[in-house]
Amino acid sequence: MSARTKLFKLKKPYDNGESDALFLKAMQENCAFQYENCSEYRKILDTKGFSPKDLKEYKDLEHLPFLPTLYFKHHAVFSMPQRRMLIKATSSGTSGQKSRMGYNFMSLYRGLRMILTLGKHHRLFSLKPVHYLILGYEPNKANKTVISKTSYGFTYFAPALSRDYALRYTKDGYKLDLDNLKEKLIKFSRQKHPVRTAGFPAYTYFLLKRMKEEGVRVTLPKGSVLTLGGGWKQFYAERVEKKEFYALANEVLGIEESNIIEFFGAAEHLVLYVDCKCHHFHVPVYSRVLIRDVDTLKPVPDGEIGLINLMTPEVDSVPILSIMTDDLGRLHREKCPCGVDAPWLEIIGRVGIRDIVTCAAGADKLLAGGDGK
Amino acid sequence: MILMHGEVIDSNVEQKYLEGLYEECAKTLVVKESISTECVIAACDQLYRAAMRGEYDEIALPLLQMANLTYERFLGLARLFSREELEYKCKTELGDWYGALPALKNGTVRKRYPLGVLFHIAAGNVDGLPAYSVIEGLLAGNVNILKLPTGDNGLSVRLLSELIRFEPKLKDYIYVFDVPSAETETLRVFAELADAVVVWGGDEAVAAARQLAGVNTKIIPWGHKLSFAYVTKRADEEALYGLARHICETNQVLCSSCQGIFLDTEDRETQERFGERFFELLKRANAELGKADIGMRGKNTLRLYTDSLEASDGRRILQEDGVSVVIQEDSELALSYLFRNVWIKRMPRQEIVERLKRHKGHLQTCGLLCGFEEKAELAALLGTAGVVRITGSEMSRMIPGEAHDGTYPLREYSRIVEID
Repeated sequence: MSARTKLFKLKKPYDNGESDALFLKAMQENCAFQYENCSEYRKILDTKGFSPKDLKEYKDLEHLPFLPTLYFKHHAVFSMPQRRMLIKATSSGTSGQKSRMGYNFMSLYRGLRMILTLGKHHRLFSLKPVHYLILGYEPNKANKTVISKTSYGFTYFAPALSRDYALRYTKDGYKLDLDNLKEKLIKFSRQKHPVRTAGFPAYTYFLLKRMKEEGVRVTLPKGSVLTLGGGWKQFYAERVEKKEFYALANEVLGIEESNIIEFFGAAEHLVLYVDCKCHHFHVPVYSRVLIRDVDTLKPVPDGEIGLINLMTPEVDSVPILSIMTDDLGRLHREKCPCGVDAPWLEIIGRVGIRDIVTCAAGADKLLAGGDGK
Repeated sequence: MILMHGEVIDSNVEQKYLEGLYEECAKTLVVKESISTECVIAACDQLYRAAMRGEYDEIALPLLQMANLTYERFLGLARLFSREELEYKCKTELGDWYGALPALKNGTVRKRYPLGVLFHIAAGNVDGLPAYSVIEGLLAGNVNILKLPTGDNGLSVRLLSELIRFEPKLKDYIYVFDVPSAETETLRVFAELADAVVVWGGDEAVAAARQLAGVNTKIIPWGHKLSFAYVTKRADEEALYGLARHICETNQVLCSSCQGIFLDTEDRETQERFGERFFELLKRANAELGKADIGMRGKNTLRLYTDSLEASDGRRILQEDGVSVVIQEDSELALSYLFRNVWIKRMPRQEIVERLKRHKGHLQTCGLLCGFEEKAELAALLGTAGVVRITGSEMSRMIPGEAHDGTYPLREYSRIVEID
């Protein structure tokens, strides 16, 4: 069995120290595979003067050239014939450009093992049937985003009684329909089966806010869970503090903070980050995080803010073993009261989004939002 | 939010506000109490004095802090509203006889009239600019309908309400509507009843305005512009450092901000040496002024790193402390990555007109750094190419009486009527 697959079969998802050697071995394998099978990747490593053989020690991982997610938005790069890819997907393309990804069987198998282990650890599985409310896209052939696939996958953690979506597919494309979800929440609160919600934090927040404004208060059945994932996207300006969010959920839906779970992941990094009961994203064994200086791209000490570099040997079909997100964050190594020793990642936000508007010609296209002069 | 007839209404735009708007505007234009330039100037002057007394500090200070501007700069901007500056502006733009034009030699009387109704589609990059656009419309005697930019912070409505407080006659000349750009039906109502659409924004905004307005409606675009520096080997160190400071101070987000530098040379080696020299100056200015926002630096670092993986066009990137200089092979005028990222390209003076003229309508300021004897020749070439403002290293300076993108707004907002 390859070290890659072994890594994803580990039973303890947050035992990072123990898994360092295996992680390195899996990265060596993946790096050699990409170098051999992806000409674009090989060229980049050659240009940067790096050979897969240079990955000798764990510490060498920081020298492995990383590919920015921006690169995947400009280039579709694959390390396998496309027919071997069972699933093809894109990122959600908040900034208008999408990464094109494809995943082969073994990569997906590893992902599945990971989800089973994490789901067990975080007690996401339940045999009790539930109603699902997805604050995201209704599945459709035309929608190839990873987020629509993962939120659909989410509805298999517990048997589904029903599925409702905030973004419903109509003949004119996707339409936001929060009222339907509101009605369903009211209806389900009077029944005995738990409710699970999943999806974009922004839509969840808009829904809760609207219910509060309309004076709607319900208490969802015991065992109901609110999950969030996919980031704030274009609603970054509306972002609220987590505490405020939890208070609102409690007020409107009667959900306890411990029943609110947040996920983090990316189309270019298929490792699932699940927050602990203290709402920290501990780095699971399948992944490593390096925070890099915004000017020099050198790793910064724990606790300092920088660009988030994510590594995982999970996927064979695309060279995404070390990717640079366009998010700022920092890594914490302080002891977490939840008892997990693995460091945790704090995501601070997208680079370049600031409340600025500009008038230099065309700059409005470069920077998110704003109609400038 | 809506401001009409001097009242602020906290509501969305509804049909009832739009009905009869055309008739109201027409009536305003014929009533005996039509406004004079003098009464607008007097009201603005009161506004200016109130600002000097610190009456708007509570709203201005947080905005200044957000935009990283000094209080002195605020007072400088406030001065643009003073009687002295506005009278000078009117004289410069409309001539000494802006009140009453002398007759033609055959005895035909000439009168300057307002266009009538102006519909301003404002932009949000400079706080208070939407209000200033309306004031220019008022100076020429027009009724003004202002569409606020998305995310407006309320400053414009506040300023215009104050103006009406000082001069109640203005209340029927100012309408402000907070309409999203997507509500084209409402915008079309405004465009149809207006004599001209004054649009602040990029090519897309201008194109959208042309779509809204009928062929008999004048479009006055104050659009996105590109600015750059032109440097010869005789440029002195002090001027170059001034340019580096300008780049760091404005973070290149203004129309007049320098995006890059054209060098008067054909030689790559000279270009490389200059790039290295300017990089040092940029680092110095950056150290003195403090680094840019961490998110913007991160964004530029990522873009430059991605470029280094992709580009094979002979570009050389110098990068440190969040500033960067990109030495490039082509001679195209282009937007930089902003936030202290500058391109350096070669453009011998004999190519200026041919290369830059293509960017018609998009050129604004050129910071010309050269020897004294060369200046007239180069300024003539740049002017011919379409540049409308030729400055030293202070490319974003504001001076009383300056034209707006090469033309005078008060003239654009007026008509000459001849009466035999």
